[in-house]
Amino acid sequence: MVVVQRKELTLLERLYLPEVVRGLSITFRKFFEKPITRQYPEQPLPKDAVTRGQPRLVVKDDGNIACVACGMCEVACPAYAITIDGGETDRGIEREPKRFDIDMLRCILCGFCEEACPKDAIFMSDELELADFSRAALLYDIEKLKRPKSTLQKRIDYVYKLNNRWRRAP
Amino acid sequence: MQDVPELVIWIAKIVLIFGGMIATAAIMSLAERKVSAWMQYRYGPNRVGPFGLLQPLADGVKFIFKEELIPAGANKLLFRLAPALAAMPSMLTIAVIPIGTTAVIGGREIPLGIAQLDIGIMYMLAIGGLGVYGVILGGWASNSKYSMLGGLRAAAQMISYELTLILSILAIVALSGSLDLNEIVASQREIGDWNICTPMGVLAFVLFTIASFAETNRHPFDFAECEPELVGGFHTEYSAMRFALYFIGEYCAMTVMSSLNATLFFGGPSVPFMPDAHWALGVLAFLIKAGFFLFLFIWVRWTLPRLRFDQLMRLGWRVMLPLALFNLLATGAWIAFTGDH
Repeated sequence: MVVVQRKELTLLERLYLPEVVRGLSITFRKFFEKPITRQYPEQPLPKDAVTRGQPRLVVKDDGNIACVACGMCEVACPAYAITIDGGETDRGIEREPKRFDIDMLRCILCGFCEEACPKDAIFMSDELELADFSRAALLYDIEKLKRPKSTLQKRIDYVYKLNNRWRRAP
Repeated sequence: MQDVPELVIWIAKIVLIFGGMIATAAIMSLAERKVSAWMQYRYGPNRVGPFGLLQPLADGVKFIFKEELIPAGANKLLFRLAPALAAMPSMLTIAVIPIGTTAVIGGREIPLGIAQLDIGIMYMLAIGGLGVYGVILGGWASNSKYSMLGGLRAAAQMISYELTLILSILAIVALSGSLDLNEIVASQREIGDWNICTPMGVLAFVLFTIASFAETNRHPFDFAECEPELVGGFHTEYSAMRFALYFIGEYCAMTVMSSLNATLFFGGPSVPFMPDAHWALGVLAFLIKAGFFLFLFIWVRWTLPRLRFDQLMRLGWRVMLPLALFNLLATGAWIAFTGDH
């Protein structure tokens, strides 16, 4: 059994008023201190390679997306946010996605797709803002997910550094 | 100036003082949020206008355009009436507060204060006591458990603390020898005459301040609202402008209580060390004094936690009331032995 020993209050404390004045003096001193909150839209959150924002598809330097529609990310996704329909292509890599949808309302930004991808085709970008006026607009298709490789490079390097024990640099 | 009809001056005074109080209520709604923010390392509202100064305006527009909901089982008449009843008494009581001494404009003497009642204090307490009806009726008419409990608590609290409030004022009335607020102000012309400068005045001031917090349903005595226990208390079911009316009423009550505090204990419009100061300076002095107590209301709210209900009752009946009675007795003895009014 837990017996809580309450502190015996002194007479001054039981009078209550001196303690009230003490509390008031504390809040009054805090009154002049600098606020620590961030003015969000003007002062955006600090972003770094560690920032795990929304997943984006890598567009290689030749203009094609790196994805080969293998479906690994689709399987890895715990929220079933990814839908892929693969199709043939004459680019010499045999397959590419005809449809690659991420339902951003389902996506939990866990980064499993990034880990699962064998072709370095999907990475977590540093894009965090997700707001729109309809649900349909938040169902991102391939065109909305495409990002040039250069914009994701920081994250790509970070992931390689993180996983360099079993992953060879490209 | 001499040939301006009396009625015009009356209406001008009513518009200025009453409008000033409503403006104070609006400023207070912003000040409450700003001060609370500053005390918690935040910025507070700063989006609407420079430094968020237009926030009360935006709030007002929002309140007007919000949908008004009336619960299915509510007593419609009382439900609609209650917010007005809650807001009205404090708006009426400002009438007897002298915000300044006598103004002299164009050779004409104008007492600053809407009404010069011989029984100013009695009027204030009588009308101010009605304020609780708005809260009780609002709570009862909502047909909601939480509102009902909030209303009942408000009633119990008012009964407990009104006694202390009146008894502490009574000591001041005895010291000043008049029920007329103008007389009470006149008896405190110099800083040495302020009622706070007497030993009974100090005790009466402490009791009055605590009781005024309870009277206006402010922290740490806001049991009628008490969000964690009663959702929103008496105004749980209220929305839109009716909800806003309760708030205007609360802020107006705070304004009146602060003004009364300044008037009773700090000489109202008396300027320290300048007993013959210009009347405009007096008005400024009054505004500063009342403003400090308004700030105190907010300051205390964001410092102290809410009491428990039994603690509230114990404080009211076993500490405040005996002290107030003792204070009245001591005041009587003081006057009897010194013959000093």
